[in-house]
Amino acid sequence: MRTVVIGAGLAGLTASIRLLEAGVDVTLVSKGPGGLALSQGSIDVLGYRPSRVTRPLEVLGALPGDHPYAVLGTATVRESVSWLGQRLGLVGSPATNLQLPTAAGAIRPTALAWASLAAGDVRDHTTFAVIGVQQVKDFPAALIAGNLDRTVFDGRELRAGFGLVDFEARDGEQDPSPVHFARALDDAATRRRFASAVAAAAGTADVVLVPGIVGLDDPGAWDDFVAALGRPAAEVAMQPPSIPGLRMFQRLLDDARALGLRHVQGSLATGFTHEDGRITGIEVASAGHSKHIRCDAVVHAPGGFESGGLGVDSHGVITERLFGLPLTVDSLAGLTEPEVGAPQPLFEVGVLVDADMRPLGLDGPVHTNLHVAGGILAGAQRAREKSGDGIAVASAWRAAESILGGAR
Amino acid sequence: MSRKRAAELQERLDNELRRVSLDHCVKCTICETACPVMGVQPLFGGPKYSGPQGERYRDGASVDHSIDWCSSCGTCTVVCPQGVQVAEIISLAKAVKRAEHGGPIRDVLLTQTTLMGKAMTPVAPLANAALGNRPIRKVMEATFGVSADAAMPPAQSQSLHGWLKKRPKPSKAPTRGSVVYFHGCAGAYFEVEAAKCAIEVLEHLGYEVLVPPQGCCGLAAQSNGLFDQATKAILDLARALAAAGKDLPVVSTAGSCVGMLKHEAKHYLGVDDPILDEVGVRSYDISEFLMERHEAGELDFDFRPIEMQLPYHQPCQVRSQGMGAPASDLLRLIPGLKVVDSNATCCGVAGTYALKKEKNAVARAVGQPLFDMIDRTNEGLVACDTETCRWQIAHETKVDTVHPIVLVHRALGLSEG
Amino acid sequence: MVQRLSADVVVIGGGSTGVGVVRDAAMRGYRAVLVERDDLACGTTGRFHGLLHSGGRYVVSDPQSATECAEENAILRRIQPGAIEDTGGFFVTLPGDDPAFADEFLAGAARTGVPAQEIGVAEALRREPRVNPGIQRAVEVHDGSVDGWALVWGAARSAQEYGAQILTYHRVTEIVRDGDHVAAVRCRDVRHGEDVEIACNFVLNCAGPWAGQVSAMAGCEPVAVVAGRGIMIAMNHRIVNTVVNRLVYPTDGDILVPAHTVSIIGTTDVKVNDPDDTRVPAEEVQQMLDAGEHMIPGFRTHRMLRAWAGSRPLIKDPRVSADDTRHMSRGMSIVDHSQHDGLRGLLTIGGGKLTTYRLMAEHIVDAMCEQLGDERPCRTADEAVPEPHARLHKVTDRLKAREESRTDTRALCECELVSEDDFRREIEAHPEASLDDVRRQLRIGMGPCQGGFCSLRAAGVACASGKVDAEKGTKLLTDFIASRWKGVQPILAGDQVRQAALDEWISQGTLDVEHVPASTQGGVR
Repeated sequence: MRTVVIGAGLAGLTASIRLLEAGVDVTLVSKGPGGLALSQGSIDVLGYRPSRVTRPLEVLGALPGDHPYAVLGTATVRESVSWLGQRLGLVGSPATNLQLPTAAGAIRPTALAWASLAAGDVRDHTTFAVIGVQQVKDFPAALIAGNLDRTVFDGRELRAGFGLVDFEARDGEQDPSPVHFARALDDAATRRRFASAVAAAAGTADVVLVPGIVGLDDPGAWDDFVAALGRPAAEVAMQPPSIPGLRMFQRLLDDARALGLRHVQGSLATGFTHEDGRITGIEVASAGHSKHIRCDAVVHAPGGFESGGLGVDSHGVITERLFGLPLTVDSLAGLTEPEVGAPQPLFEVGVLVDADMRPLGLDGPVHTNLHVAGGILAGAQRAREKSGDGIAVASAWRAAESILGGAR
Repeated sequence: MSRKRAAELQERLDNELRRVSLDHCVKCTICETACPVMGVQPLFGGPKYSGPQGERYRDGASVDHSIDWCSSCGTCTVVCPQGVQVAEIISLAKAVKRAEHGGPIRDVLLTQTTLMGKAMTPVAPLANAALGNRPIRKVMEATFGVSADAAMPPAQSQSLHGWLKKRPKPSKAPTRGSVVYFHGCAGAYFEVEAAKCAIEVLEHLGYEVLVPPQGCCGLAAQSNGLFDQATKAILDLARALAAAGKDLPVVSTAGSCVGMLKHEAKHYLGVDDPILDEVGVRSYDISEFLMERHEAGELDFDFRPIEMQLPYHQPCQVRSQGMGAPASDLLRLIPGLKVVDSNATCCGVAGTYALKKEKNAVARAVGQPLFDMIDRTNEGLVACDTETCRWQIAHETKVDTVHPIVLVHRALGLSEG
Repeated sequence: MVQRLSADVVVIGGGSTGVGVVRDAAMRGYRAVLVERDDLACGTTGRFHGLLHSGGRYVVSDPQSATECAEENAILRRIQPGAIEDTGGFFVTLPGDDPAFADEFLAGAARTGVPAQEIGVAEALRREPRVNPGIQRAVEVHDGSVDGWALVWGAARSAQEYGAQILTYHRVTEIVRDGDHVAAVRCRDVRHGEDVEIACNFVLNCAGPWAGQVSAMAGCEPVAVVAGRGIMIAMNHRIVNTVVNRLVYPTDGDILVPAHTVSIIGTTDVKVNDPDDTRVPAEEVQQMLDAGEHMIPGFRTHRMLRAWAGSRPLIKDPRVSADDTRHMSRGMSIVDHSQHDGLRGLLTIGGGKLTTYRLMAEHIVDAMCEQLGDERPCRTADEAVPEPHARLHKVTDRLKAREESRTDTRALCECELVSEDDFRREIEAHPEASLDDVRRQLRIGMGPCQGGFCSLRAAGVACASGKVDAEKGTKLLTDFIASRWKGVQPILAGDQVRQAALDEWISQGTLDVEHVPASTQGGVR
């Protein structure tokens, strides 16, 4: 059995790994490296509805019927997210949210995270030393500390101060990309120098918060940093490029490759062939000529509006780019609010699916062997309710299960 | 170069869709996470800065000299999720800069690949001795700026066409029709062995192999911003290949040169010519060609086992062709062969980049993770699809580096005797 | 408590006219105070397409304006070069437009002294290859692009050097009369919640489309101003490098202006009752896109960044219908309230256009001098405003500057290449400024991501300066995100949808800005 997975984000990689583990041949077609490089290095299940959620699994059942979780069911979410957490060695569980400081000084609920991030959980600490780095512009220590300091969490007044270290990760570079800063900290000697600079600025708080840039490729970098620092510390995820997110991407991609993934990188899937209601192949825009990849099933996980998986043209017509799938709404009119504080209905637009994650048309599944996963699914305000990761993992899991079930 | 020429280039730059692809940039910075040069050279502003960001400020004038650090490896375009043709934008801006401000004569010399091969073949032992001679290389570095530490192509005493003239006719009659073989300059003069293997493999599998006289693809000139020279070369090449036979697949062992035919000449140089389009759509990397035929059920390989672990590096300019990794897939069909993909972005050589004395250290730093990986995994052999990359890998790791087709040749039992 | 100031003249309105007037008055030796309810150049002046008129637009419809534009264009290039880019301009006859209009145009240009020269269609297309290849005729003129904020702030700084006081965020509440003469202007300092009374002999009402409201505050019959709302759309890059005008009698969607890194298409003209009605209706966006497509084939596939609307300040002219603002005279008009309302010491000016702002100022200050019996000649055309770089700016300037400082300084706004150092200087000098105020000085947040990446950085630097606390810093952040969205929301399509989704991903998804405590009272449960 041959499958094509489209998209290398959390959904695409989850589906690929599940299928590969079951011995299925997978060709992953991706235009870019997927959304993980932009995400937080944590796995959200549900953070707000709209008030803060502490135990996500307990409230999934109460979501409206058109929410992806309503279709997926609590059991699938629990099973799939736990599986991923174990695979990656994340801290936390889908049952209880961690409450992690953000780079703006908010407290963000999420279900699982890398240990370096989870160590900042405000349920465990009251005083924070936020240590910024002059050269790392996306971690505004004064703002973060100031906001934590005026936060009352669970009736507890948090206290936070900030410090700033001047640290050139690479000589003479004042405006490094976080990626190059992180790679410089993969070097043990540089990391120790960084740890002593941070220690000198950190005061006496319960926990030291540093930008999420402590190493990228070296999995032991964080523990080594904390040992050198000699006291509890945590990383805070920053806006893209997100190092904790990149670590997750790299890990999942490496896992998939080790399982025999075939990866067509940098190419847009541009078309498909079908017969008797089944997809028979995917056309890929390789250089010079398009490449036809034959397949028995497809997991389509291209993301939503941010990636162009869903698009709006200059006349306000909304479309699904590759298969022209039916969407919940196909016209932009009335889908955006002038107030930025309001949820934008546009971002809930997407594809409706059956329990096998197959896109639905008027008469049932559009293609019997086409499954979708992740950001393309309709019905969720992912960024606001903090639900995108859980939807991606659970829908990819379900899509893969369905393909495997079909193969049996 | 003249102001007029600069103006003409700028006009084309403005005109082309690839420039307009800057509109797709959402600033996500993914290109920066992947750029191999930026990772080792802080003086390079990176693909986002030099590409879609800088382009909004370029009204004809070239003011950002840091753009020269770009090695044109094309990784940024491959990883851009939004479809910005980052490398293409930078490449054109480099050409405009070149036209406005000129550049070292060395960059012109380095692009004379055919000429170099022709000149060196008759005197191969001498040429190899000279290029392997440290004092001579130091003089070359001082005079022309050609790095004394860079890998240089090994000259061969017999060119491919010399061998073709002398060899006996193939014993088997073709059963599958004809293909046109595009060997590239290296295949003709420096990497004759790989070219011979390719021809013998194709013939063994039942193809008639046509090898028309052919010149350089112009890639080296293009990456040095010499767009006129590159345009002439690629069109001459396309015509030569087209003349060999109508509608025949063009199959190549020159991993990056075939990319010129497929997309680079069109998207980097802006060559808009029907002959190029016509040849481009039927051009294949040899592994791509064999795997496609195999997966279509047309070809079976009766491979003999090769018991070894083999690091395989897919060059950036092969990855940018967006066809997956057919060489890796093909090699995995050989029993006993344990293929380890390098998953490394770039070996650093990027055509002629490593040959420049001011860039050589950057190139070597870019390639370091790959060289380390090869050190860890090789059992005496590395496979890689592109000539300059093979020279660089062999130079830096001292491990024999061959085109994947050499292993296919061996697995088909064609290498003994 | 009321703060008391005194001046010879109070200028109401901080758009180009008001600032030009306060500079002119100060240079003539008057003690002048300008009051503005927002920041400078937030009304009509900050909401136009950025064209420095050659005069070409008016050679047929309004010859006097044409001549004035041509003259002022030359003067502004001399006195405020740093605010101007010499883009040049074309008038082109698009398919379907009457080619004979070009003859009328050229004759008008000759009569009005507007430099204009017909060039070959091939030449025009060579220089602007994206223009509709079906153009039939092309005339080259001396259009430029002008940064309204740089222009106004340059003049304001010049005025301050001459002793003028500029009070932004001061909303006029009353013009106090003493019998038949103006005595003072009362205003509310909206940022500090204080009242200010400025005793004065003269008030110049330069409130543009708000001039009616201001004149009413003096107890006069409101000046009849017709606010003509026009929308503009900024496109993500310079689709053209030359101003491209449609060679027809002035109409909607007839111009595309390269301004800094973007190009701006304008504009529509709809009569509105309230000059603060700056909605961008969807149908007008479609109208602009159609106009753009006609001028530049493929225009609809290019990326829109944002849209905005501004109100033209036209004084009602009884000769034309009030419903058709385009055909009113753009010429400036001055209302002398001593004649109309029996109130001495108040003049209102309306009409005009940014290109002629200096001349408008000259006229109204002349009128004031005449009433005061002073003989003080205008010098604004002769003396350049103080500028750090006294030369016409180029779009390449910032890339060049960034190239020189890239390893030493951080880029705060990467799209518009604004350095963290420049931002810090600005926020430290003006700790009360909003990020939108800083934007008008430095262009932060005006590029493709519309603040998606730099808003947090800016708020962070403001907090790190020690002059802004976290509560205020958070407000800087959330206000800026809201003000950027205001311009994006009406044009959401294509690539800007991807950007908006990513920006939401960052601000809500990653930073959870929605749940930063709003004030010291608010907490997290």
